[in-house]
Amino acid sequence: MSELFRSEGISKHFGMCQVLSNISFSVYSGEILGIIGPNGAGKTTLMECMTGLLPFDKGGIYWKNRQVSPLLAKKFIFYLPDGILPYAEQRAGVVLRFFQRMYGAEKTELNRLIERLELSSMLKKQVYSLSKGYRRRLLLAIGLLSPQPLLMLDEPFDGFDLRQTLGVMELLRETLAGKTLLLSIHQLTEAEKICDRFLLLNTGKVSAIGSLEQLQKQAGLNGGSLEEVFLAIV
Amino acid sequence: MGAALRRCFLQLSEFQLSRVLLMQEIRTLLISPALWIMLVILSLLVGYSFIQAVELFSQASQTALSYPELASGMNPTEGVFVPAFGAYYLVETLLLPFVAIRLFGQDKQNGTLKLLLQLPLSPFSLNVVKLLAMSVVWLFILLPGVSVFIIWQYLGGAVHFPELLTLMLGHTLFVLTIICIAMFATAISDTLPTAAMICLAATLGSWVLDFAAGEGGWMGALGAWSLTTLLRQFESGLLSSDSIASFLALSLLFFTAASVLLHPGRKLCQKTKPLFVAAVALLFVVFTIMQVPQYRDVTENRKHSFNPADVRALQQMNKPLKITIHLAPEDGRLYDLEREVLAKLRRTVPNLEVVFANTQSTGLFGASENDNYGLIEYEYADKHDMSYSNSSFEILPLLYALGGLKVTPDVIPSYTGHPLVADASNSKWWFYLLLPLMFLLSAYLFRQPQFLRRQ
Repeated sequence: MSELFRSEGISKHFGMCQVLSNISFSVYSGEILGIIGPNGAGKTTLMECMTGLLPFDKGGIYWKNRQVSPLLAKKFIFYLPDGILPYAEQRAGVVLRFFQRMYGAEKTELNRLIERLELSSMLKKQVYSLSKGYRRRLLLAIGLLSPQPLLMLDEPFDGFDLRQTLGVMELLRETLAGKTLLLSIHQLTEAEKICDRFLLLNTGKVSAIGSLEQLQKQAGLNGGSLEEVFLAIV
Repeated sequence: MGAALRRCFLQLSEFQLSRVLLMQEIRTLLISPALWIMLVILSLLVGYSFIQAVELFSQASQTALSYPELASGMNPTEGVFVPAFGAYYLVETLLLPFVAIRLFGQDKQNGTLKLLLQLPLSPFSLNVVKLLAMSVVWLFILLPGVSVFIIWQYLGGAVHFPELLTLMLGHTLFVLTIICIAMFATAISDTLPTAAMICLAATLGSWVLDFAAGEGGWMGALGAWSLTTLLRQFESGLLSSDSIASFLALSLLFFTAASVLLHPGRKLCQKTKPLFVAAVALLFVVFTIMQVPQYRDVTENRKHSFNPADVRALQQMNKPLKITIHLAPEDGRLYDLEREVLAKLRRTVPNLEVVFANTQSTGLFGASENDNYGLIEYEYADKHDMSYSNSSFEILPLLYALGGLKVTPDVIPSYTGHPLVADASNSKWWFYLLLPLMFLLSAYLFRQPQFLRRQ
């Protein structure tokens, strides 16, 4: 796999609080990289910095080994924030159709996503009236319609039950044919099931990065779940 | 699949994306209850103002029909349209900011902005699209005003289109500025209530400043930039490059600031530089325009102009003309002098200096102890004269004598006025019932999924 994206030494502070310290890692084409960390670890801030939605103090981002301005990162990276309600007063169907047109996606692709995410019955409902799970599915559909090759999803499994989570994982795997995924997850069980590699983030610092086997070695464990590895390292 | 999608994305031009986004923003506005509530209130206020204005105009017209010399005071723009559009001023100042802030601020509050900023559209383009969407609102807002025009014509009233169009231009520029202020307020606030407070502080503050516009000093200078003061020129039928430039410059300044500040990914230092450059450039443009002011009196009774022969003669007076006024700012005579003579002279005489002498009202009943009080002195080409008159009929001959000019006024048809005795009370059904019902029905229809499916 070739390197698609690289973050080099990204640092960010809010007032006196250092929220990201020298974050460096690479994302390879066609993989699913999970940013794992407890609440407040800096996962969302890191994603927003990498997509130019927040300015960072130091460091740089690279796309295929060429440094790019964070404000131009939107050409290659799509970031789907957590907890947003796009056009909350409009019907879900209208919002999806709007983003499909804006992203230049095919209508058949939209219909496929509506079917796969079981959104058909919700299309006439206003976005704000959707349950947490359906809001998450709507956002996921918007994210998967986006044309950028690197998709960053913030907490994509939040609000899903086990069956739905497995369905979404399958859908995400299908999208790997054309996209690379960077997922921010705090549920370690789900992360272990879907991600190829993991970036362990704690208090704004990279604690470790690698596949589960590599992390197990780093933690000095002979086997063990991601949860055990995470606790051992962090 | 991803590569194909990416190709589509890149193929969509900024224009096509903006068009799709514009439709979405219009849809957002049309399902907004705030818009329709504002329109209902506007309809009621315009209707009330119009019916009252026609009633007063009719009462005055009855007297004018008996005494034709009074008819010249019966101007429908002043008597009917300006009062009816007074309701617009209220709505534009107090309610429109909420509709605008809702459109601009909601994206920020519910996170839509984070998705929009990832589109291949600049923050400027995003704001232009929203501004265009708001222009659709302006078309809706115009409906009660257009009704006033149609009903007035149906009642047999006269309309002088240049005056009416100037009035509407003034309100359009006023609304544009308010919308840009609202845009700026949402860009610098985190919540909608804060943005509303900032915007209302600007609009109401401007209204308060208008009271200071007539006074001297820095408050008076600041008051001259009040939006209300600027609008009043259009209401009075005076089209001036200064006012248009001021409205446009203020709008552009707030629009630029809002667009620069919109993107959270820029550092503060990256934001301040373009802001500073924009502010300096706009100040320079406005200053340049103000050096060569252009005026056009669009009133039917030419109330802002001297006789064309007088204008030609005054324009020939190239040497400095100094007028020293011994009147207190609050004196009613000064108001008449300013309106009837000084304002017209400022627009005509190339080199005019108006000086206010120190006049302190310390005498009995506030009267001045100064013997010169009330005197107006004129100096031109080393000649000096003075008068207590504030009428152009006395002042102009005095000036011509100083300039050694002889002026024979051109013969122009005198304004005979348009008195009309009419009853507009039946229009209450339209303004108080039908139009509000139409707005409420539209609000209902636009919120229906059937409507949205057709989009």
